Amino acid sequence: MKLLLVEDSERLQRSLSTGLKKYGFAVDQAFDGEQALAYTAVNQYDAIILDLMLPKIDGLTVLSTLRSEGKDCHVLILSAKDQTEDRVRGLDLGADDYLVKPFAFNELVSRLHALERRRSGVKNPVIEIDGIKVDSVTRQVFFDDQPVALTRHEYQLLEFLARRRGRVFSHDQLIDQLYDACSYVTRNAVEAHVSLLRKRLNLAGAPNLIKTRRGFGYLIE
Amino acid sequence: MIVVLTITAGFLYVRVAGHVEKVFDEAMYDKAQALISLTELDEEGLEFDFAEDGVMLEFQEHQTPQYYQLWEKGVDLLIKSPSLGESDLPRSGVEFGGHQFADMKLLDGRDGRLIEINFMPRVEVEDDEEDEDYGAVIPPPEAVTMVFARERETLDATLFAIGSTIFGVIIIVLLISGLMIWRLVGAGLSPLSYLAKQVSTIDESNLDARLNHKGDQSMEIAPIENQLNRLLERLQSAFEREKRFSANAAHELRTPLSELKTLAEVARIVPDDREMVVSFFNDIGEISGQMEKMVATLLELSRSEAGLLRIDSENIDLAEYCEEVWQHAVNGQEINKSLLKHIPEGLVIYTDREKLGMILSNLFGNAISYSPDNAEIEITAKILNDNVVLEVRNASINLKPEDILHMKDRFWRKQTIQGESGHSGLGLTLVEALAGIMKLDVNLRLDNQQTFMVTISGLNPSVY
Repeated sequence: MKLLLVEDSERLQRSLSTGLKKYGFAVDQAFDGEQALAYTAVNQYDAIILDLMLPKIDGLTVLSTLRSEGKDCHVLILSAKDQTEDRVRGLDLGADDYLVKPFAFNELVSRLHALERRRSGVKNPVIEIDGIKVDSVTRQVFFDDQPVALTRHEYQLLEFLARRRGRVFSHDQLIDQLYDACSYVTRNAVEAHVSLLRKRLNLAGAPNLIKTRRGFGYLIE
Repeated sequence: MIVVLTITAGFLYVRVAGHVEKVFDEAMYDKAQALISLTELDEEGLEFDFAEDGVMLEFQEHQTPQYYQLWEKGVDLLIKSPSLGESDLPRSGVEFGGHQFADMKLLDGRDGRLIEINFMPRVEVEDDEEDEDYGAVIPPPEAVTMVFARERETLDATLFAIGSTIFGVIIIVLLISGLMIWRLVGAGLSPLSYLAKQVSTIDESNLDARLNHKGDQSMEIAPIENQLNRLLERLQSAFEREKRFSANAAHELRTPLSELKTLAEVARIVPDDREMVVSFFNDIGEISGQMEKMVATLLELSRSEAGLLRIDSENIDLAEYCEEVWQHAVNGQEINKSLLKHIPEGLVIYTDREKLGMILSNLFGNAISYSPDNAEIEITAKILNDNVVLEVRNASINLKPEDILHMKDRFWRKQTIQGESGHSGLGLTLVEALAGIMKLDVNLRLDNQQTFMVTISGLNPSVY
């Protein structure tokens, strides 16, 4: 899941992006409202974590600008404002969720996963395809109830394609969706991840889920 | 007005009714006198001409008979009208030559009125010498009491008509007056009602509403409307300040807590990344320091509001002290900003050292954080009207004139820089509070060249 973290506190940015990346999210960072809009103008995000009290352009203005531009990415507001009217206002302006600071990091992660399930239309946190189970909560993969060891990037790739079963994604699309702006991932790296993922699944006795459509990209049928 | 009209009506009725009753009584008196004139004493005794047949039929058995009864010396019955039958008329005893009226119930139950009159009968002397009764001896006359009674229904009907007419007119006058007054007062109060209606629609959600008037503004309402609008302005400003304060306080208090919580939770999931964990602990240390500073400032503010802070004045060499505070504010950091002092050599002031230090420390801290790189921060001291005036000035970044209005609000900060500034937005609030206790004035200004100035006046030169 590709995220944009919009927060003016450098410390919170640092700790949150570290933790989110640990959980397999690709995270871009913006420190004010102007930066946030600049990022969203050129990138597609699955979700935006948006603080409200931002320098230059405040969070609610960023949100209403995004919605008026037709951007339908999920927005999770992260704010110290806890009054009902603040939450109602944020949700009415188009936010998908609202979390009040201070918050539990695990809760933030769970809410992001919930947003992802909403986006993909697959509500079950465990996706099962041809005997392979992808558990998005524990971030583990099983075949015949046996765990399949995957790296972070391999898991991200598998979960991404499993949630969007039947859709073809090119190398560039996969780079865009799965990696943050600071990681300079190439097409070769994507190919390598796909190849390694296939190998690990085969080793576990699982069928080869990931198909290649020449000239188009990869998909899970 | 009702009372006045009622009294007038009552007076009018009494006067008119009294007159009508008087006329009635006069008519009865005249009738009685007529009967008296038809009463004569001759040698044969008393003669009552009115009692002869065919004369005064009203005293006969009649639909609405009248009655008379006469007594000699008030005791011996002389004659009574046929209409009385076996009954008698009441008599109370009137002195000779007098008369009195009274109301009574007649035989047939009708309301009646009587006149009782005491008179001496006329003596009829024959003066015709040829008449056989000429020279006859007539006994001396005795006083006769006559009671004449008749119905008073016609009188009562007349009185009722008069009364109802008078009171009817009064009621109509009252109704019409009431209607006119109601209309006039209503028209007069209409602007007030309109004002009241507008006021009733204003609550905390629409304090930006202002009262207006329909048509020409009345002289009486205009000042009320203006005052209410001014009150609304102040209320709106206070509400907005309160909302801003709540938002800022929530942000400033919750954000460091959120940072601490996230740092601790994320550090748990990256235990193997030593460099990251160490940086997290450094952040935790910084945040704790900032929160400590914030708590200390809040406590100081709380003490100043509770009146617990005392002033302990002493002589202070201003130039030396400013340098000392500056060094503390810089705190060994390598900053590319300098302090330029324009303080007369040897100028000594008499004030509370600790509190002045807190004021200067906050001003220097703000100047360091919110001025551009390589900025020069100036502090000037002048003597003006036996007081020392201090001014701290520095170039500012993106400060707007409207920011000056909020600078002393708790937790207000200009968010121009990314990341942490180490400021909680309480510095100038504390400066204002301390200055208040020290009886100093603090003035904030921003000029056209984006130079921000804080002037503190009221410091006393030293007392030796």
